[in-house]
Amino acid sequence: MNALWKMIAGETRVLPIGVSLVLLGGLLLQGAGWWDRAGGFVLLAGVIAVLSASLPRRVP
Amino acid sequence: MLTSWILTAAGAAFAVALELFEALAIVLAVGISRRWSDAALGALGAIVILAVVALLVGPVLLASLPLSVLRVVVGVALLLFGLEWLRKGVLRLAGRRTRSDSLREYLEEREAMEALPPPAPGQPDWPARVVAGKGVLLEGLEVVLIVAALSGGSQGAAPALVGAAVAVVLVAAIGLVVHRPLARVPESHLKYAVGVMLSSFGVFFLAEGLKVDWPGGDAALLYLAAALLLVSQLHVRRLAT
Repeated sequence: MNALWKMIAGETRVLPIGVSLVLLGGLLLQGAGWWDRAGGFVLLAGVIAVLSASLPRRVP
Repeated sequence: MLTSWILTAAGAAFAVALELFEALAIVLAVGISRRWSDAALGALGAIVILAVVALLVGPVLLASLPLSVLRVVVGVALLLFGLEWLRKGVLRLAGRRTRSDSLREYLEEREAMEALPPPAPGQPDWPARVVAGKGVLLEGLEVVLIVAALSGGSQGAAPALVGAAVAVVLVAAIGLVVHRPLARVPESHLKYAVGVMLSSFGVFFLAEGLKVDWPGGDAALLYLAAALLLVSQLHVRRLAT
């Protein structure tokens, strides 16, 4: 079961939590007037932030 | 339309091939160090389980969801897989993680299996069956989930299934001909590239499920991939110094 969970959620909790926050943000913002044209770039920025947060901050 | 078809097929082909390389390494190690019949039986048992999972996840689950919900589910699934591949890829290319190497895994698995007592003649070799079955099951489950997610896109299942079929034939042929994983496949770079592709599809489908109209339509996949490539390369350089 550990191997299965690791495969689905990955090795760090940052990714599943971050992707959930991006999804939640998208659901909250999708009613805005600008969303259909610019919402994709907001999601992309969120995903880039999640990727950056999942990586080490500095070189030891 | 064509851009999306080709990228989906290529993404599925590379993702499936890389996962199957890892499964192949385990099955070959078990077959060579123990008995081929037990390695094949273990792998076959896993394939039967995977076929059942594929039938449940594919036609039943995906077909029963409304299109916008399906795209959100597919987008989230692809982001979870893609970002994990991309994160590991950045760390590998920056030298912060061991490079992916199916040949090394093959040699380690072979050494571990040879350390076990030899199987009794005429008796089933359960350790060999379990190791081969578990390897195929875990790698194959990721294959099933990625192909199912890519099948939920605007192009339908065809490009993902074509890409997966090409990968299965290619990896099976390599296994039959050389009987060991290839030493010169740049697995770390390929996994990094697949991470970029799957993450791009993830953002694309998630946004479409949330009613976004991408400028340029399917061509948005190209600039999404370019943006993720650029950002991830900046991280590689930052972490490598």
